[in-house]
Amino acid sequence: MPADMIPISVLTGFLGSGKTTILGHLLSQSGFSRTAVIINEFGEVGLDHELVEASEDSFIELKTGCLCCKIRSDLAQTLQDLLQRRDAGKCSAFDRIVIETSGLADPAPILQTLMTDTSIAGRLVLGGVVATVDTVTGAGTLRREDISQKQVAIADKIVLTKLDLSGPAPPALLRRLTELNAGAPVLSADRGKIDAQCLFSAGPYDPDARSLDVKSWLAEERHSHARHDADIQAYAIVRKAPIGAVTLTLFLETLAEHCGADLLRLKGIVNIAESPDRPAVIHGVQHVFHAPAWLKRWPSDDRNSRIVFITRRVPQRWVEALLEAISAEVADVSLAR
Amino acid sequence: MSEAPVDLTCELMAQSLAAWRVAGAVARAHDGAIVICGARKEIRIEAAPSDPTFRWMVTIDGRKRRAISIVGVLRQVREALDPGYVANRVRVALTAVVPY
Repeated sequence: MPADMIPISVLTGFLGSGKTTILGHLLSQSGFSRTAVIINEFGEVGLDHELVEASEDSFIELKTGCLCCKIRSDLAQTLQDLLQRRDAGKCSAFDRIVIETSGLADPAPILQTLMTDTSIAGRLVLGGVVATVDTVTGAGTLRREDISQKQVAIADKIVLTKLDLSGPAPPALLRRLTELNAGAPVLSADRGKIDAQCLFSAGPYDPDARSLDVKSWLAEERHSHARHDADIQAYAIVRKAPIGAVTLTLFLETLAEHCGADLLRLKGIVNIAESPDRPAVIHGVQHVFHAPAWLKRWPSDDRNSRIVFITRRVPQRWVEALLEAISAEVADVSLAR
Repeated sequence: MSEAPVDLTCELMAQSLAAWRVAGAVARAHDGAIVICGARKEIRIEAAPSDPTFRWMVTIDGRKRRAISIVGVLRQVREALDPGYVANRVRVALTAVVPY
């Protein structure tokens, strides 16, 4: 791994859910000091950047609009500039980047920008997505605000905030979080304080463990029977029989083609028929997929393919029927040869 | 073509109508073809006459088009039944999910 491959993480959460407070505490921790921060505020007068103490030269405020809809190209340009300044020694030699989104931002397009922009490819590795949820108003916000549901659904980790005001997190809120994203560990911040390493240590790629954080993704699988949400749904499909490489390619391509923005996130470990000892890890956001990453070995004795879906109105039964139909056709063609 | 892909394609079409929120019905005809009625259209899906390239024949309101695979069949059916549908093309991420 090149020394300058930098993990980039996204801190999301609805308005007032405590993102900036957490960021402020994180940056005060010694292990997190070499962090470049990009804050995106919505509105003409930005304040959040005033509330976070960070090195001036690696701190950027993007305030020309909401990251998810107006200034995605600005984000890529900003990252490129930041990397160039770092290379030229014109700013602190940061070894991590955190983007704090506006409270109204949809994190999916932001992830897409990070995954696909040519100007930053090869320099950044996708870190975790962390979503903050306010325990005082969070349940109501999740009921009312679609974007809040999406922020939670897409996260790798969820942080409960304002527990000092609410007392223990309301059971209804915890149930809702499990419904939306059982795979994401739910952590608590004490007045914004939380251990930086446990918060940003895992994304698709865990820079500290230097591996893919597959086990936590697969926690979703154990809860997939409990999904009844009408709009955003999370579920897992499990296949005992190995999946052919061609089948997987056609399956992912068709999912992307038909689901597009409704495929919020897909993560999984797949037993590829042509590679029984080295499973493939797949990861996609909407219609953008990473090339499969090949693990050196299976993380456990479980050799089943397990793919976790977080979707908006994409029925599990359709996804299963699609995989079954493609598998059968590929097998039929192979037999006919 | 063996029977298994046709059965599973029939099931996929039924699930697809539900997923796309299109009112309609999917059934097998006496000759084995899959028949979809929905959105004021009749669609027949059957094995293409012997052809090394195309496996399927899709007939929509009398107009016949071949399809290489079930993926192509699904695309044709969706375009016929779901006028607002715009296909997304898969993109492969440039940023690594693991460092290289």
